[in-house]
Amino acid sequence: MQVLIIKDPSEIVQALNKFNYVADEEFATALFLLINLQKPLLLEGPPGVGKTEIALALSQLLNTKLIRLQCYEGLDINSAVYEWNYQKQLLGIKLYENSSLSIPEKEKHIFGGDYLLQRPLLQSISSEEKSPVLLIDELDRSDEEFEAFLLELLSAFQISIPEVGTVKAKHKPYVILTSNRTRELSDALKRRCLYYWIDYPDLDKEMTIVKKRLPGIEQNLLTQVVKFAQEFRKRKLSKTPGVSETIDWAESLMALGYRQIDSRAFERTLGTVLKSSEDIQQVKQEGMEAFT
Amino acid sequence: MKIQAYAASTITESIVSFSQFARMHGLNIGIQETETALLAAEKNLLADRNNFKNSLKIIFCTNPEERQIYEKLFSLYWDTNPMDLREEKNKMNVQGMVNKKANRSLVMLGSGKTDEASAEAKNISGANETERLQKTDFSKINGIDAGLLEEIAEKLFKEMAIRLRRRMKESRKEGQINLRRTIRRGIGSGGEMIDLYHRSKKPKKHRLIVLLDVSGSMDKYSFYLLRFVCALRENFRQAEAFVFSTSLIRITKALQHNYLAAVLTAISQKADNWSGGTKIGECLKQFNDLYGKRMLNGLPFVLILSDGLDTGSPEILGQELLKIKRRSKKTIWLNPLKGMKGYEPTARGMKEALPSIDDFRTAHNLESLLALENILKDV
Repeated sequence: MQVLIIKDPSEIVQALNKFNYVADEEFATALFLLINLQKPLLLEGPPGVGKTEIALALSQLLNTKLIRLQCYEGLDINSAVYEWNYQKQLLGIKLYENSSLSIPEKEKHIFGGDYLLQRPLLQSISSEEKSPVLLIDELDRSDEEFEAFLLELLSAFQISIPEVGTVKAKHKPYVILTSNRTRELSDALKRRCLYYWIDYPDLDKEMTIVKKRLPGIEQNLLTQVVKFAQEFRKRKLSKTPGVSETIDWAESLMALGYRQIDSRAFERTLGTVLKSSEDIQQVKQEGMEAFT
Repeated sequence: MKIQAYAASTITESIVSFSQFARMHGLNIGIQETETALLAAEKNLLADRNNFKNSLKIIFCTNPEERQIYEKLFSLYWDTNPMDLREEKNKMNVQGMVNKKANRSLVMLGSGKTDEASAEAKNISGANETERLQKTDFSKINGIDAGLLEEIAEKLFKEMAIRLRRRMKESRKEGQINLRRTIRRGIGSGGEMIDLYHRSKKPKKHRLIVLLDVSGSMDKYSFYLLRFVCALRENFRQAEAFVFSTSLIRITKALQHNYLAAVLTAISQKADNWSGGTKIGECLKQFNDLYGKRMLNGLPFVLILSDGLDTGSPEILGQELLKIKRRSKKTIWLNPLKGMKGYEPTARGMKEALPSIDDFRTAHNLESLLALENILKDV
């Protein structure tokens, strides 16, 4: 497998472009540092601006595996790092009950690799060939205890399993953490990471992004959709639409066969871009003209 | 330390002193960050000015606010002409820093008329001093009792916090079977699982958002309520606290250090804020606009401590409160006036607010505050 050598952030911009991800120079610098310094990258920003998407694009770019850990409240070590396969262990005990193996041998057997279920974090550091991309998604949803646990992994890239010993990464994973900022992450964690804030893209950039995703879209419709989306973001809506909503909207308009947005199309498809009934009501009341 | 790029003789030196410069101005940069910056500089990032600036930004900053400050610092350090320097030198003001010397004014709390008030206080009888004080309206406490009450309050609040914590640790007998533990314990009996161990969901800790009114009419109550907020903070996953009167101030950071005096000083610096008119609606709107999206996530508890005497528009109050209610698990409004005999929520603001409140309670004395424990426990 060929190793990709990147000398310069601008090369990342071009390379990502191939994988349908539009990044600016500054963001590319962040990725460049992530790759070269092997430090985790913490991405924050509003929902729907491509925080999760970049992990996928990066794994394609580096031609490596993407391992994803979705965080949620109550996420614990057993579902994030490893767990013993208890059912199998029980069967194992029964099977070997009458064998001539000594007890230490039996024990060694049922605590062997066959009985260990690898969860994402352990997977990410036990890769044999090359560094995978590890995406820890929406970290702000997990508990603070879990965040503290991550500290060991992120700085030393090792995990201790009492029955087996310490597993140390042969190939350090490229770690991307994302957060919607529903709560402030701890300083200790932030200090171990590079930090980048992704904001909503401007008009030109958003047009490029939508165009990349939907190559078949007509210029006229594209401009209209993106302009509306940008206008929506200026209003005080309870759920500001992200780029993914813009893409959804454009896609549904295309599916319905519209070549441009008229007031009927506007009202019919509003639900794909605005996700709350008050927002839709508010926008409908103002009418399409208010946003042009 | 060099405070300008031109003063350093090597690039390493100038990067190191730039990180010192940035640290001096409030960015959280340690040796590790500096080291990372130097490593980054090695990776072919120096050639391009933009790349260099961006990469240091990514290494040094940890939130959007810092990223803004960084822009200023960067140009101040790398771009400033030596000639302009003398005047500019000490003018940099950094956001978010409390100027310690500038304002040490003491907040005078509960210093209103007390003549008739104390008379009424004596009418409340109890078995002993402590009990009497617990039942006394905060606004009717005289100078001598104030010290005593403070002591009692602190003790009781602390006890409440411990009780709440303890409650959250109990009740772990039901739920799924915890195979991990069961097998572990079964080893003693040769792999035969005799006792089953269970695992129930960890009691969920909720987040708490407190909005405290510190306007003139709340004067006497604010102090105790602030204490109360401090105590509450300890047993919630995350507590955010704000004070408001004509505008909203976030005091979460100050409470975290558990340093009440500093909180009071910090608030009193905005003199118009403490003990002035109240615009509840506008402040809630400010809260919704600035913090709502981020904090009203995952159904937190919202606690509003205010008397509902509003000089702003009651319509806005109703509207904004409804927005909060929709995104919170429970909206609790504590109104000290409710403790008065014959009080009806007739103030216009209060009337508008009522439909969006899940629980409308009083908060005029210690007892009523402690009663909150029962609402917060089954969180």
